[in-house]
Amino acid sequence: MADALKSKIADVFDEPACGTNRGKSEHQRKKGCAKPLTPGAAAGGCAFDGAKIALQPIVDVAHLVHAPLACEGNGWDNRGAASSGSELYRTGFTTDLTELDIVMGHGEKKLFRAIREVIERHHPPAVFVYSTCVPALIGDDIDAVCKAAAQKFGTPCIPVNAPGYEGSKNLGNKLAGEALLDHVIGTIEPEDSTPYDVNIIGDYNLSGELWQVKPLLDRLGIRILGSITGDARYRQVAMAHRAKVTMLVCSKALITLARKLEERHGIPFFEGSFYGITDTSEALRTLCRTLVERGADAELLDRCEALIAEEEARIWDALAPYRPKVAGRKVLLYTGGHKSWSVVAALQELGMEVIGTSVRKATEEDKERVTEIMQTDAHMFDNMAPKDMYRLLKDAGADVLMSGGRSQFVALKAKVPWVDVNQEKHEPYAGYMGMLDLVRAIDRAVNNPMWADLRSPAPWDEPLPDFGTYVPPLRGTCPVTHASTEGAGTSPTRAATARSEAPAENGLTGFASSQTDFEDC
Amino acid sequence: MPQSADKVLDHAPLFREPEYQEMLENKKLKFECGHPDELVKEIGDWSKSWEYREKNLAREAATINPAKACQPLGAVFASAGYEKTMSFVHGSQGCVAYYRSHLSRHFKEPASCVSSSMTEDAAVFGGLINMVDGLANTKALYDPSMIAVSTTCMAEVIGDDLNSFIIQAKEKGSVEADFNVPYAHTPAFVGSHVDGYDNMQKGILSNFWDKAETRVANDSINIIPGFDGFAVGNVRELKRVLAEMGIGDYTILSDVSDVYDTPSDGEFRMYSGGTKIEDIPKALNAKATLSLQQYCTPKTLAYCKDKGQETASFHYPMGVKGTDGFLMKLSELTGKEIPESLRLERGRLIDAMADSQAYLHGKTYAIYGDPDFVYAMAAFILETGGEPRHCLATNGSKAWAKQMQELLDSSPFGKECQVWAGKDLWHMRSFLNTEPVDILIGSSYGKYLERDTGTPLLRLAFPIFDRHHHHRFPTMFYQGTLTVLVKMLDLIFDKLDDDTIDPGKTDYSFDLTR
Repeated sequence: MADALKSKIADVFDEPACGTNRGKSEHQRKKGCAKPLTPGAAAGGCAFDGAKIALQPIVDVAHLVHAPLACEGNGWDNRGAASSGSELYRTGFTTDLTELDIVMGHGEKKLFRAIREVIERHHPPAVFVYSTCVPALIGDDIDAVCKAAAQKFGTPCIPVNAPGYEGSKNLGNKLAGEALLDHVIGTIEPEDSTPYDVNIIGDYNLSGELWQVKPLLDRLGIRILGSITGDARYRQVAMAHRAKVTMLVCSKALITLARKLEERHGIPFFEGSFYGITDTSEALRTLCRTLVERGADAELLDRCEALIAEEEARIWDALAPYRPKVAGRKVLLYTGGHKSWSVVAALQELGMEVIGTSVRKATEEDKERVTEIMQTDAHMFDNMAPKDMYRLLKDAGADVLMSGGRSQFVALKAKVPWVDVNQEKHEPYAGYMGMLDLVRAIDRAVNNPMWADLRSPAPWDEPLPDFGTYVPPLRGTCPVTHASTEGAGTSPTRAATARSEAPAENGLTGFASSQTDFEDC
Repeated sequence: MPQSADKVLDHAPLFREPEYQEMLENKKLKFECGHPDELVKEIGDWSKSWEYREKNLAREAATINPAKACQPLGAVFASAGYEKTMSFVHGSQGCVAYYRSHLSRHFKEPASCVSSSMTEDAAVFGGLINMVDGLANTKALYDPSMIAVSTTCMAEVIGDDLNSFIIQAKEKGSVEADFNVPYAHTPAFVGSHVDGYDNMQKGILSNFWDKAETRVANDSINIIPGFDGFAVGNVRELKRVLAEMGIGDYTILSDVSDVYDTPSDGEFRMYSGGTKIEDIPKALNAKATLSLQQYCTPKTLAYCKDKGQETASFHYPMGVKGTDGFLMKLSELTGKEIPESLRLERGRLIDAMADSQAYLHGKTYAIYGDPDFVYAMAAFILETGGEPRHCLATNGSKAWAKQMQELLDSSPFGKECQVWAGKDLWHMRSFLNTEPVDILIGSSYGKYLERDTGTPLLRLAFPIFDRHHHHRFPTMFYQGTLTVLVKMLDLIFDKLDDDTIDPGKTDYSFDLTR
């Protein structure tokens, strides 16, 4: 590992703003927060993947992956980060390293030429160059290539040093943030600066979630100056250092970035969420309060309260018709972080019963909120192995599981409906109106008639009907009429034999039971 | 001229050339003398209104775009499923040309069928001579093992009596006395092709069974597939399902799977496969006769019952419950257990429905076609959480409408559905315009409705002329239902892609993964 990268990783792991990190001893802190990977156990995405997905929503730049084909090929356009304009981010650029390139050490030259071709053909405002395992192993210096190319072609070339073998997806997110800090943020000055400029960090505009929130900000006159990285343009990221406040959405991935923006440019940050009604209101309040503290007109607070009152009334009205469809249903939430509690309140308000919520990746504050809302901490759980989740779904009689895509099949095998609330979902659930989409999705999932087919046994497996008193078949000759009844009478039988339900345990053998790598991180 | 020998344009681009455009424009201007475009548009829009729909539904005499065919087509289809059997339609030859082209255009196979080619003098003096000559010529020219006689309207209007004609023809030595000439009266002015299918099936069975001295019941079962545009795939799938069940002792009465699917190997097969003639008399001894399509076999099943057989009928066994019911009956009749392989197929189908549930839930549909198909399709849609809104069968009876209503009442997803028995596709146009749906399910003729109303069409009903080879894949039973499910999803996803395809405008949802 290059020394520069080594120290960078040590740096991002020692995050003073991270509660977990603060709680560690000096020795533990030194070891970093990377969870050791267990060879042979199921694992999630790599550092490259993490870096790529964090930066890919910058829509107008070319994302050039310096690697053999598969790194880009397998991850190409795999998340629904929506763009309101340029489609360049969806184009898969790669150097497609081959055996000869690797043996002969042609990687750097090929990368340089690839940068040239991309710039000549597409004229992007910048090229993001991603290092991967192979070039890192053979020692390609992408920093040097990017520097030379930027000078030669006059287009910024941003090296993203997060080769896959360095670690987890989460580390990749952090390294992506470092690349932005080192090479992008602060390189362009905005034409005008207002007291209403904010940064939103950690929202990737998946399925257009940012757009569900932007109209609210527009109505308050708040401008998203820096978006990292939902529906972002290169210039937008480069100007982020002039914002008055940073809202860190839903992700610990980029907390280092937020903290360093505060240290270097004096921009205070807070963690907030646009999931759930109360949460959205809370986020808007904090945003406005901080802006006022930093020089915005105090009347912003009044406008904010008025907006919240109006929007909350509107969404509760809109949700009312769905109450009879979802009331009384039992929900198991398996998400994490702030979502642990932010959705709970709204679901309870609709008459749904939340039988449990996960608190992985959640802060102590998050956990307190959960206890407060659920009135007990009995239904709080941390990471959960699939077989435990399966058992909980079965035992608690959950009507619906809300989780990320990887638990979908645990739910289906437990014959429980499932709603995707993580990054791969296809519907936006953010903001006030997002709650409506979410409740609609729940209605659709729990009330689909297919579940009846899924849960009930095949008709030939149903238990035999009760025939009342059992009458044995007639046998022998009738003593009165002397008629033979041999074979005439038959006892009630069914052609198909009934099968006993396979015990639940048997269904579990196929599941990986790693506690650490089960969900996306 | 835009057309030149160096670069010959196909007709589509050719007539877009300015010369042709000008010619067409002039023709319209000088010879059509039509109403101004604005007025045409205005009236066109009005014809999509509720007001027009009321007038449309008040229609008494005119039928516009009927979704049904005539009895002899069904009779020809039924006869085609028997070994070396030539369909002989007593009447005018033009009708027969229609059946042949209809079947050929759908199955992309030759369809053999002859007529007695009656002319005006035959209409005046009766068609006996045409029958006598016709049977002899058919035998001589095409060497069939059996000639199945049905009728066109012409013969029916003048009242030709097939029974007497065939006896007389045999007496006159047109064909041997013991040569099998089953018959059925199939006037097009009564019922539709499903009734013609029924009449011909009954005609063929009674030709053999009425001669039999006694019935000695055994454990075999008969299965009548019914009129089905997907028969090639479905009959083969039926045989596979029976094999999975371990049922070997059965007779499919009218098996068209090989007739309408012959290989291109240099040999023309006028006859191919089909139910063996020798199996027809034996079928009398079967324990039971099952009909896969109730409305294709009311008379035939009554006849089988009369002969002492158990009978049962289904509505195009599709969907989870539709297939369950059929398999349970098979199991009950034969004493065979449902095998693990079919249990797995069932589980896979439900798994697929679960995987795609979010995209299927709440989708609305208009369905038209033959009564049994419409029933099965609606039932399957209800299973997926979709909502049928219009179920239409031009050849649907009041009894069918009642059965449909019972089905729809059994599910909250059927609440808003209307059943339209005896209505036509011009009515359907009004329904689609006034109460739009997400998907229209029907035959190729629905493509005009698709264009007119913007409702995407799923082709699942006979006839399918403008898409090839769908009939080679089953639509019945668990495996066939999976095909239907995939077709539905393809349409839904294509539409979704289509709606989100505008770069920079709508393509924020043009997703790689769905």
